[in-house]
Amino acid sequence: MKANKRSMTLLLPALVLYLITFTAPLVVLLVLSFGRFDKSITTLGFHLDGYIKFFEPTYLRVFFDTFFISVYITFFCLILSFPVAILMRRVQPFMKNIILFCVISPLLTSIIVRNSAWMLVLGNQGIINQFADYIGLNDVLRDMGLISRFAGLPLMNNVFGVVLGTVHVYLPFMVLPIYASLSAINPSIEESARNLGASSMQLFRNITWPLSLPGVIAGCTLVFILSMGLYVTPVIMGGNKVVTIPMIITGLVRDRYNWPTASAFSVMLLITILFTVYVSRLLQRSVKV
Amino acid sequence: MAASPGNRASSKLLFIVNALIFIFIFAPLVIVVIQSFTNENHMGFPPESYGVRWYAYVMTDDDWQNSFMNSLIVASIVAPLSMIVGGMAALGLDRSDFRGKQAVFSYLIAPMVLPHIVLGMALFRIGLFLDTSEGFALNATDSLWFYVVAHTTITIPYAIITIGASLQTLDRNLEEAAQILGASYFKTIFFITIPLIKSGLIGAFIFSFIISFDEFIVTYFLATFNQTLPIQIYSTLMFQLEPSIASISTLMLALTALLTLVLMSRGQLVSFGKIIK
Repeated sequence: MKANKRSMTLLLPALVLYLITFTAPLVVLLVLSFGRFDKSITTLGFHLDGYIKFFEPTYLRVFFDTFFISVYITFFCLILSFPVAILMRRVQPFMKNIILFCVISPLLTSIIVRNSAWMLVLGNQGIINQFADYIGLNDVLRDMGLISRFAGLPLMNNVFGVVLGTVHVYLPFMVLPIYASLSAINPSIEESARNLGASSMQLFRNITWPLSLPGVIAGCTLVFILSMGLYVTPVIMGGNKVVTIPMIITGLVRDRYNWPTASAFSVMLLITILFTVYVSRLLQRSVKV
Repeated sequence: MAASPGNRASSKLLFIVNALIFIFIFAPLVIVVIQSFTNENHMGFPPESYGVRWYAYVMTDDDWQNSFMNSLIVASIVAPLSMIVGGMAALGLDRSDFRGKQAVFSYLIAPMVLPHIVLGMALFRIGLFLDTSEGFALNATDSLWFYVVAHTTITIPYAIITIGASLQTLDRNLEEAAQILGASYFKTIFFITIPLIKSGLIGAFIFSFIISFDEFIVTYFLATFNQTLPIQIYSTLMFQLEPSIASISTLMLALTALLTLVLMSRGQLVSFGKIIK
């Protein structure tokens, strides 16, 4: 009992730090979100201005853009992760570690570094466009009026670029949970299905996929949540063409000092995320049965 | 595995698809590395001539030097701090039993899933409050100590999970033996527990270091003049696509790759997998 109490005191430093750097800031944010912003001055109170603004068509559209971009990102992460997870399960432990290294090490690389790498590949002066210029593809497209005279293939500064850049960043977050649930499947189940004459396609549809659902749900939830809150990639890969909620929030705070509206938008973002987590829990429960 | 013809074809397809995915993952990074050795004034691939000119530039330029030093200082303080505070919390969670323990755990790892943009702006607000309120006059925004506080909050969840994972594999009998032989609670922790979870501690240290070193959005809110490396890259990037970005990125890649290798040799990459689960 005494040891239990002593162990509990070990939690104190972290809890005290969190109180100041995690809880307090979020409470302040919540309070500010009900404030009013008038002539560059924030007054506290209980106003719903910020929340009402969120539901104005302009901002609602940005919200749905952010939402759908996150859905695309999640979808493509899922498609690319499955083959990797399946391969990881099939190979020898040594190869598995190498793949694990390949999957995780980019995760530890700065997002900015990876996004600037993509700029070199996808930009107007990027490798793909240089190649397209070289083989004359861009000239053909220009003659056909499909791309403008000074631009190359539109690979960046649009939703495509943002989705691609983010998929590159968040892929590991999808691979690992899927791999975790795949490796929990007893191989003898698949073997017996095969012995009973199931084709690869049938095997995947009726066994591998349903049994991997817990990992799929966990991965999708994580990638979706992270994508909703991402700032850097939409800015770098989207040029000025893609606007997301985090960009709006940052602009409101950094350029206009409009704390109430920015806070209200942040609270709405958090509510969306909490709702996503809630839905994901429900789904997890339904697949476990 | 019994290889029917269809099975073999699907394996082949699996390998090809995976090869393409790994090209997708690594190609841009390889291109950055090649690009960093350009001798030209502008980026262009492949470079027309090669040299280390831009490395010399980023290593001697004041802005790059300052931001590199800032990042290094912050990450070097954050890593041990997060390891210690996170390690204590992990030990506390592992060794105690109380109602609401699961809730405390969820609370402690919450900064992982909270959008960092929200945390960043909220911390910025607290910083502004500290800046302006009399009596404190702490100068929080734009100062390194506040970056350290912010980064520590972000990295603690990773430390808790990494160290927690190695605590779970620990043989508790060894601790009990020490205590039966008369070692005190703290003696047991220092001479038995800590040496046994060394790998986890190193893992937590390195994860925290890398995350702090690469952190962008929270610092972006807090910084005005005192820039860190990611912010310096970002502001250069927004201005023009200068080859210096490729050089500094390659240096960062090299540092990260080195640390990741250390992690792997310690078997800690697997625990990163656990973080995500």
